[in-house]
This record gives sequence, C-alpha cells and structure tokens, in this order.
Amino acid sequence: MNGLGVLYRKEMAAIFYSPIAYAVIAVFMLLMGYTFCAQLFHTRGLSLVPMLFQAAMLLILTIPLLTMRQFAEELSSGTLELLMSTPVSDLAVVLGKFFASLSVVVLMLCLMLAYPMALANFSEPDWGPILSGYIGLLMLSSALISVGLAISALTSNQMVAAVLSLGLSLLLWMAEVIGVLLPQPFDQLMLSLSLDGRFAPFATGAVYLSDFGFFFSFSMIGIQLCVGALARR
Amino acid sequence: MTTPIVIARGLSKRFGRRLAVDNVSFSISAGEVLGLLGPNGSGKSTILRMLVGNLRPSAGSVTIGGYDVITHGLAARAQVGYVPEDVPLYEAMGVDEFLVMMAGLKGLAADHIGEALERVCAELNLSSVRQLTIKQLSRGFRQRVGIAQALLNKPPLLILDEPTNGLDPRQIIECRELILRLAGDHAVLVTSHILSEIEKVASRAAILLDGRLLAIEELKGDGLQPIDLESRFLALTATL
Repeated sequence: MNGLGVLYRKEMAAIFYSPIAYAVIAVFMLLMGYTFCAQLFHTRGLSLVPMLFQAAMLLILTIPLLTMRQFAEELSSGTLELLMSTPVSDLAVVLGKFFASLSVVVLMLCLMLAYPMALANFSEPDWGPILSGYIGLLMLSSALISVGLAISALTSNQMVAAVLSLGLSLLLWMAEVIGVLLPQPFDQLMLSLSLDGRFAPFATGAVYLSDFGFFFSFSMIGIQLCVGALARR
Repeated sequence: MTTPIVIARGLSKRFGRRLAVDNVSFSISAGEVLGLLGPNGSGKSTILRMLVGNLRPSAGSVTIGGYDVITHGLAARAQVGYVPEDVPLYEAMGVDEFLVMMAGLKGLAADHIGEALERVCAELNLSSVRQLTIKQLSRGFRQRVGIAQALLNKPPLLILDEPTNGLDPRQIIECRELILRLAGDHAVLVTSHILSEIEKVASRAAILLDGRLLAIEELKGDGLQPIDLESRFLALTATL
C-alpha cells in the first residue's frame, strides 16, 4: 500500500512530538505499579487477573486521549487537506494512524511486562494465562483505537472526539450490565457486544476463536467507518 | 494545439440546499496560468478541492492528465501539486523532515528524494531554513515550503489557492515571479479574489460569482489586445 510506511513514521513522530503520549504512558505505568504493589503487600500473594482487568479499564480511559487528536487536529489545522491531496489512499491514512496508536499501546504493554517478570523472581507464574491476557489487551486496544479514530474523523474538536470515544468505549464495556435490563433477544445482542464479556476469557487464560474474531471484526468495522467518514467529506 | 492537462465538465457541488458550484467547465493546458477570480464564497476553493479529490463533485467530471479524479483518484492526484489556502503545514516538523515525508507520500523512490529536495530548495531559496522547524518560519517562507512540497514530484499541474494571502509587498512580487517562472514547465491554476493579482500572473481568467462561471477571459497571448479585467468584471457582475 503506497505511503503506509511513510504515514506510520509520520504518525509515530507526531505522537511523540506531543506531550500527551508521554503523559498517558506515565500515568498508565504509575497506576499499574501502584495496583501491583498494593495487591502484593495487601494479599502477600498475587494473581495477575485483577491487574489485567485494571489495565483494560485504564486502556479504555487513556486510548481516547491518544486517538482524539489523530484526525481532529488535522481537520482543525487544515493539514488533512494537504495530506489527502497526495496519491495515498484513505485506507493508508487510517491504517498509518491505527498502527501508530497501536504501537504506543504495545509499548505500554511491554513496559507492563515488568510485573510478571518481577513475580517470576519469587515464584513460578503460569505464563499461559498471562500471555492470553496480554493478547486480550492487545485485541481490546485494537477495537478501542478503531472506535477512537472513527470518532476523531467526524469532528475537528479534540475534546469532543475524546469524550465521545470514551463514552462509547465505556458503554460497550458495560454492555453486559445493560443487557441484563433488556428483554430477549436484545439482552443476548448486548451480551455479545460486551467488551468486558469478550475480554474476560482472555484474562482468565481461555482464548476462544469467537472472541478473537469479535475483536478483529470490531476493529475492521471501526477502520471501515473511519475510511467512510473521510470519504464522506 | 496541446492536449489540456485539466478538463472539468459541468462541475457542480451542493452542500445541503446550497449550490456552492454550479455547472462549471474549463480546461488548462501546459504552460498556461488559469486564474480563478471571484469574491470570497464564490466557489473557488470548492472547485480546487474537487480537483484534488478532497471533495466529491455532486455532478460533472474532472480529468487530470487523462485520469478521472473519482475513478482513478490516486493516479489523478499524482499529477497535481497542491498548495491550499493559508498553507497548512505540520508545525512541529523540520523543513527537511516535512519535505522528505511529502516526497515519500508522493511516491518518490528513496534514492531520488535527496535530489528532489535539493532541486526544490534551490528553486525556492529554502537553503537557509532547511534545519529550522516549520513553526519557526515567517509567512513568506511557509508559503515557499508549501510550494516546494507541491513541486517535489514535478507534477504537470500546480494548484495554488490564494497564494499571495498574508504576504508582504516584496513577498507578493516574489510569489508572482515564481508563478510565472513555474508556468513554463507546468499548467498552473491559481485563485484570488484580487483582480490585479490574476491580471499580473494569469494568461486566462475564469470569473466566478455565486458558484457560477460567468466568463473565461484571455489576458495574454500573441496579437491579443490587453483587456481591462476590472471593467470586464464589473460589467459581468452588474447584470446579476
């Protein structure tokens, strides 16, 4: 795909020119470190499952901050017009931003590996569930980034983009709870859309192809909506 | 007669109920400067945005270098160097960094990017600012960087949207000279709401009002009597 590598490098540079990425990574690591220590000293033992859920919740809160500026800033500064006048496809522009945002999350997850590695010094953790939990976090992040990008492509206001993608992400995370209140067959529909419900098996060491397919399809739909939002302009 | 590089036929754009561009047709050949002249809100920038594929026309068609901008969008865009109004650039990037990125996006091979950078920087006198970041540049240098990125892949068509906006008198003169110089190798489409700007650079002027093309006037050419564009503009718009 023409220009994807150039766009990816541009987006990575743009993310790290901004202090937002550093702040997001720092706050994420600080809160994860606090949770790790608190749990370790409180229980004198540690299961990484609650930490994986905490990481998922922190990703829901922080990914909108990473994605909010991706298109909204380019729309408000006018650089999107310049970018889209070059012979690169809308899909390449979206994927460049998607992979750059995902790379920041991968960096955060890599830094988070310090916790299971610290545990490994004192015990023999079961690496299977840890690995599946990390895959789950990556799949969840991919879905959240695609939602954030699609919303960012609809507005030139970064705050609006952040608030809307945070709201939608939280809504999808809690869809299971909302589903309980609904009659059939809507309860099943909400249940199947629940990010929490899809992530939970990963965190407990069970990788189902259906959950994997859900997050993959969700991300593809988000990316396609984003491309559609660009084409609609 | 040379084959036109741009052919726009019956171009229209509707935003909701408002018809921003109404059935506009024109063509531009290599070596000529077509000036799109009209007051603010007359549809000049909308036409340009349709030409570069940033906006989809509601009706009509545009081909650039033989490629339809809708059906062969990427190939058509490869024929265009575009400098939007107010020159939006990536402020945090260095000049060289920005030009390298734009060269990559325009599909230049890595081993040709250095040569392309040297060429455009020499042509636009950018050598003294190449190590600066874009936010450190004056309005005039920003304009030059904007034009430099447009020239990186030697496009047959150069589109400049209000290129003299915000420039001081010396920079305006330099910008005019640059446009005339570039017209030798490219077809140039330039917009302005200032009559004298179009009169000084364009070989033809397309007069727009409320999205409609009122006339296309020949301004320069062999054996052509010079016309008073101001009187012509007033005569055309007075009847509306």
